[in-house]
Amino acid sequence: MLKVIGGFVAGIAVVAVLVYNYAGSLMFREIESPFGVEETVARIQQNVQNAGNGWSLSGLRNAAKPIEADGGNVLPVLMIEACSTRYSGPILKDDSLRFLSNLMPCKISVYKKNDGKTYIGLMNAALIGSLFGSKVGGIMEHVAADQAKFIVFDPSKPAPAMIKGTPGAASSGSGAGAAGGC
Amino acid sequence: MLLRFSSLLSAAAAYVLLAAAPAYATAAAKPEAMIAPQAQAVGKPVSASTADHSKFKELQKNFTSGPQVTEACLVCHTEAAKQVQHTKHWTWESTDPKTGQVRGKKNIINNYCTSPVSNEKDCMACHAGYGWKDDKFDFKVEKNVDCLICHDTTGTYRKLPGYAGHPVLKRVEFPHGSGRFVEPADLKKVAQSIGMPSRSNCGSCHFFGAGGNGAKHGDLDSSLQHPGKYLDVHMDEKGLNFTCVTCHATSSHQVSGSRYNVAAVVEGPAHIRGKKDESPASCQSCHSDKPHHDKMGMLNQHTDKLACQTCHIPQYARNEIGTEASWDWSLATTMGPDGKPMVRKDSAGRRAFDSKKGTWVWDSYVIPEYRWYNGVSTYKVIGDKIDPSKTVQINEVGGGPNDPDSRIWPLKVHRGKQPYDKVNNYLTVQHTAGEDHTALWHNYDWQKAIGAGMKAAKLPYSGEYGFVDTEMTWPITHMVAPKHDALSCAQCHSKNGRLQGIEGVYLPSRDNNKWLDMFGWTLVLLSLIGVLVHGSLRIYTSKKKG
Repeated sequence: MLKVIGGFVAGIAVVAVLVYNYAGSLMFREIESPFGVEETVARIQQNVQNAGNGWSLSGLRNAAKPIEADGGNVLPVLMIEACSTRYSGPILKDDSLRFLSNLMPCKISVYKKNDGKTYIGLMNAALIGSLFGSKVGGIMEHVAADQAKFIVFDPSKPAPAMIKGTPGAASSGSGAGAAGGC
Repeated sequence: MLLRFSSLLSAAAAYVLLAAAPAYATAAAKPEAMIAPQAQAVGKPVSASTADHSKFKELQKNFTSGPQVTEACLVCHTEAAKQVQHTKHWTWESTDPKTGQVRGKKNIINNYCTSPVSNEKDCMACHAGYGWKDDKFDFKVEKNVDCLICHDTTGTYRKLPGYAGHPVLKRVEFPHGSGRFVEPADLKKVAQSIGMPSRSNCGSCHFFGAGGNGAKHGDLDSSLQHPGKYLDVHMDEKGLNFTCVTCHATSSHQVSGSRYNVAAVVEGPAHIRGKKDESPASCQSCHSDKPHHDKMGMLNQHTDKLACQTCHIPQYARNEIGTEASWDWSLATTMGPDGKPMVRKDSAGRRAFDSKKGTWVWDSYVIPEYRWYNGVSTYKVIGDKIDPSKTVQINEVGGGPNDPDSRIWPLKVHRGKQPYDKVNNYLTVQHTAGEDHTALWHNYDWQKAIGAGMKAAKLPYSGEYGFVDTEMTWPITHMVAPKHDALSCAQCHSKNGRLQGIEGVYLPSRDNNKWLDMFGWTLVLLSLIGVLVHGSLRIYTSKKKG
C-alpha cells in the first residue's frame, strides 16, 4: 500500500516539475521572422485586416518607448492588438466570463533580440482557452486557427506600410480601440 | 586656544543662523523671495558672446549672394578663410598620416552615391563653399568659403542640391514636384545672427549623408538634434546637452575627430583643458583609459583590447529613422508597370526603391559588427583595380589581435552593389545628378551616365559595365547609451555572444581549453568523491560506536 501511495505521490511530483518547466513554452510560442521589425508588423497587420471573421486592428503599441522616455534602452518591442467581435462578443456577454476581457484584445508581439533577428511572440490561444471550459475553449480554437493565418507571409508581395496607432479610433479615452471591435 | 577658537566659531555660526532665520521665514511665505538677488536685466538678454554681430557696420548691407557675406566676415576675421581652406570641409581631401594614401570624398568611390565627380552641382550642397560645379573650381578664392553653413543660428540658411553650394535665395519647390517649398534666406539677418556651430549646423549635412536621414553613418541622424538620455548620454538635451563641437573641439577651424583618422587607441589619463592634442574627440580625452570605478576595476582590464564604444554603444540607429543596410544600384533604371519611373517605400516609410537609384534595405536598432581596428582604413580611390569575383572592400580596416594599436571596435558594414568597368576592372564614376542628357536620373541610361562620369574622372571606359558586390565599414562612435545600458559580461562571454567572430583573443566562456577543462572537472569529481567517502565513513563510524 505504502508503495502505491509513494508511487502516486512521486508521479504527481514528476508531473508538477514537468508542468513547472514547460508550461510557459506551451502557453506561448516564439518564431523567427524573415523580415525586419517594421515589415513583420506591417505584414501581420495586413493579414489581420484580410482575415475576415470580424477581425480588425485595435492598435499598435511600442513597449520600448516608455523605457526610452525614462532614459533607458531596450530593443524594439511592438505589440499588434487585434480583435474580432465575432469571438469577443459571446465571451463579453456572459457575466461569468467577462473577467476574460483581461486577455483582450489579442496581442501579437514583434521584437528584435540581441542576435539582430526579428521574432514573433504569440499566445497559444487554443490551450489557454481550453482551461476555461468548453464554451471559451471552442471560441479560442477558432481564434487560434485565425492567428495561425496572421503569421503566414508571402515574400513575393511588396511590403505594405505599417499602420501606426489605432486605425479609425479616437486618439485617446474610452473610445480608443472601439473600431477594433473590443 | 582651541576652546576659544571653537566658541568663536559657534558664535559665528549662531549669528549666521539667527541672521538667516527671518529671511528664511519670509522666503517660506513667498517662494519667489528665495531667489538670490541679481542685477536687473535691462533690454535684451545678455549674450554669451562678447560681440553682437547685428551692430557691425560691415553686416548692415543687403547681401545678394553668399560670397558677399564672406567678404564682409573677412574684414574682421582676416585669417578665417585661409584656415578653412586647409580643412577637409573645404578640400574634400584627406591624407592618411600613416600610409600616405590620399582619400577624401573627392578621391574615393563609396557604395552610397558613389562619387561627387561630375555631380558637383548637387553634391556641393554639403561643401563649405560656393560655386564648386566642376573640376575648374578655384580652391584659393577666399570669398567662396561659406561661413554661414556652420555658423548660422537662425535655421533659415539652406543649401539644396543643384546650386553648386549656393544658398537658396528665392522661393523654390523642394523636392521638385513635392508641393513643399523652401523659403529664401535673409542673408543680412543670418550674417548678423552667427554663433558657434550647433547640432543643427553639423547635422544639416552629417545627419543626411547619402541623401537620406540617417542613411549613411547609422550613429548620426536627425534624432540627435533633440536627443533624449537613452539615445546619447552626452547629448541628452535635458542633461549634459553636448553639441557636436563639445567633443569635436576645433582649433583654427580644424575639426578634431574624423573617420579618416580614427583614434582607435588613446592611452593615459584624462586630458587637461587646453592641452595640445591630436585627437581630443575620443572618450579617453575626458574619461581616461581606466575609466571604471575601483569596484569595477576588472572592466579597466578590458581597455587594452576593447574600444569604449564596443560596450557603451550596444546598438546604433536607435530610433525609427534607422539606417541603410544596403544599396543595390543594379536595379536602377527599372521602370514601373506603366513604363514610367517609380518609387516605393518600405513598411516604415523609408525609401525602398527608386527607378533613379535602385533598392535599399533599412534597419533600426542595429547590432554592430565587431572587428579589430587600428584606426587606419585603406580606401578604394578612383581608378584602383578590383577583383570582381569577390566582394570589394571600399575601405579595409587595418589592425589585428597582435597589433598593440588595435582594439575591437563596433562597426556598421554597409553592403552595396554598384557598377564597375568589366574590362578595366575598376569601379566606375557615373554622372547621376543633373538635367542634361547624360545624367542617369534624367535619362535612365547607364552607358551614357558612366561614359560622362568616367570622362569627368579622366579615366578610360571600356564601354562594358557590370555590377559588383561591395562593403564599406564605418566605425560607430555616437549614440552612447547610459552606463546601465552598456553590454553585460555575458553578451560577449558566451558561445554565441557579440564577439563570436573575433579571433586572436582568449575569451572565457566563449573559448575553452580541452586540458584545462579536463583538469577542472577532474578536481570537481575528486572533491565530490572525497566528500562522499568522508561522509560515509563518518556515518559508518558513528553507527559502529552507537
